[in-house]
Amino acid sequence: MTDPLLSNVTTSVSADSLLSNVTTDVLVDLPLKTIDANLILYVLFIIIFAYVLNRLLGFILTHISERMGRYRTTITMLIPLLKLLVYVVALYYVIIAIVEPSLTLLLAFSGLFGAAIGLGLKDLFADIIAGIIIIFEKPYQIGDKVSIGEKYGEVKNIGIRSTRLQTPADEQVSVPNGAIFTQQVSSGNAGDLAMMIVIDLYIHLDSDAEMAMKIITEALVTSKYVIISKKYTHTVLLEDFPFYMRVRAKGYVNDLRLEFEFKSEVTRRAWSEFRKAGIRPPSFVPPQGVVSHLLDEVAE
Amino acid sequence: MAENPKAVSERPIIGLEKELQEIAQTIERYDDGVPAHIAIVAEPLGGRTTIANEIQRLYGERVHYFPLKLGMSPSSFPDFSDCPGDIILLDNCRLLATRRIGGFDVLDAFLLALISSKKLLITTWNLYSWQYLSAVMNIEAYFPTIVVLKKMDTPDLKQLIMSRHKPGEIKFINDGVAERSFFFSLVHKQVRLPLKGAEVSLPWIKLNFTLMFHRLPRKKRIQISIEDLIFEKINRISRGNPGISLILWESSLKDNTISLNAITETTYSMNLDISESFILTIILSMKSLREEDLIEIVGSEMDIRRVLYRLVQEGLVGNDDGHYSIPAFALEPVAEYLKKTRRLW
Repeated sequence: MTDPLLSNVTTSVSADSLLSNVTTDVLVDLPLKTIDANLILYVLFIIIFAYVLNRLLGFILTHISERMGRYRTTITMLIPLLKLLVYVVALYYVIIAIVEPSLTLLLAFSGLFGAAIGLGLKDLFADIIAGIIIIFEKPYQIGDKVSIGEKYGEVKNIGIRSTRLQTPADEQVSVPNGAIFTQQVSSGNAGDLAMMIVIDLYIHLDSDAEMAMKIITEALVTSKYVIISKKYTHTVLLEDFPFYMRVRAKGYVNDLRLEFEFKSEVTRRAWSEFRKAGIRPPSFVPPQGVVSHLLDEVAE
Repeated sequence: MAENPKAVSERPIIGLEKELQEIAQTIERYDDGVPAHIAIVAEPLGGRTTIANEIQRLYGERVHYFPLKLGMSPSSFPDFSDCPGDIILLDNCRLLATRRIGGFDVLDAFLLALISSKKLLITTWNLYSWQYLSAVMNIEAYFPTIVVLKKMDTPDLKQLIMSRHKPGEIKFINDGVAERSFFFSLVHKQVRLPLKGAEVSLPWIKLNFTLMFHRLPRKKRIQISIEDLIFEKINRISRGNPGISLILWESSLKDNTISLNAITETTYSMNLDISESFILTIILSMKSLREEDLIEIVGSEMDIRRVLYRLVQEGLVGNDDGHYSIPAFALEPVAEYLKKTRRLW
């Protein structure tokens, strides 16, 4: 006698035909409401309303955050959360507008949904899931300076599908949220308004390194962009290399949007004082063999 | 009219008794052979001069008063061991450092002199200058006793102000706004519209929570006197700063008569760029500076004349014979703005 379980396993049923049967069964059982022009308009209205509401929320909260000084990032981190909430509520209203879902039906529907994701929309849904993870786990927030893969910039918006970055060159770059699964993500400030900046200055081996460290320390702590406290500390380090010395200053910029201005100001002021103190930049001296080779080439 | 210095010195010290006691205890310990230098820290007009005068009055010949000036060099710093008296009172220590490259050399020399001094050094500091130097140079490590002059409460302020008048000399007038201002007051808020960017004036109800919930129990609310309301208003405007309270009192008092309406509050709308905020921070920390001093501090980093022009236009800085300083009534709003924008740490 054939084992019925074994027979089920060995019966060859293609995945497509199985999905097709399930789809037909569920759709037949779904208590769909009559789809007419009114329903379509209603659904469209919900979608447009949710979209407009989200745009409005984003605009208002961004505007408020800009006026909140030190609390800027606290306000902006609410934006993606509120947007998600609006979309979830809108989705709920769309579903109950089309069907009257019981628990069984919702389960069946989610099965269908899963199959759809598996078959064709997996990238889109991976981005959406990543968007939700970004909102709750906060690897970065709106207002942060982040590197995602090779892209670097300030996070201007975290959407359901993608994150928009503003690069230092003022380009708007849209990075799919799914990139957090595949790319390296680093945030320079992790939700804070201040961000650590590293400033490297290279000086000649003959230069007075102690004086250089004093000057760069003072250039850092007297900058109009700096913030210093027990939380935001600063440090200056010296490292010796074969042809030069590197003086590295680490300090926090008051507002991460001013990172390049901060770097530039400290560098400019430090070099101005370096010159007065006789501290020189490293000079490149090519090896003797290279020089004679170049001279030969010129002679020929 | 200038007050009689003797009368000033004989005036009781109000609201600073605890701080004076702490200083006295440190001086007593020094008498026992333990040197512990003192830093007296206060916001502008916060009572530093009063306490310095009182120290001189209490300890007389023992105190050598040494007011510091801007532009000292490390080599021009005096040897404390040559100074008369065993207590050196160094006033205006904010002038020991300026916020520029090379601006800490005098402070470094002073700190070296301080750690080797056998005499007791009592130093006075501007709060904002002190906070900056604490963050940058950990200056508090050099002072075992740090006395921070706190903001005053209304009863202390009332006592301080009334101590300058004879009993019954001042007439407090109820001009009909007392009852209303107890629970709420109507103010006009400048609101910037998000879409247009223009400012509009909107009427706004401001509830006086301090009076309603903290100062007085419910049953006594009705018993509040016009006198107390006036001092509460002075305290609210001055944010508990005794110097500003006194100036406000003097400017509101007419023929020994004062009313709530006579006490006016100046409002400031601040939207400053980074350079303007930076210069304002420096002036706030240094009390008063000339244009040349500011040019020396910022170098060629900014157009100082343009910045000063803007700050003067906004009423945030006043020019008194070439010396730029922040007007008394703007001190607290400016400090709040600079804290909000994280220029003061």
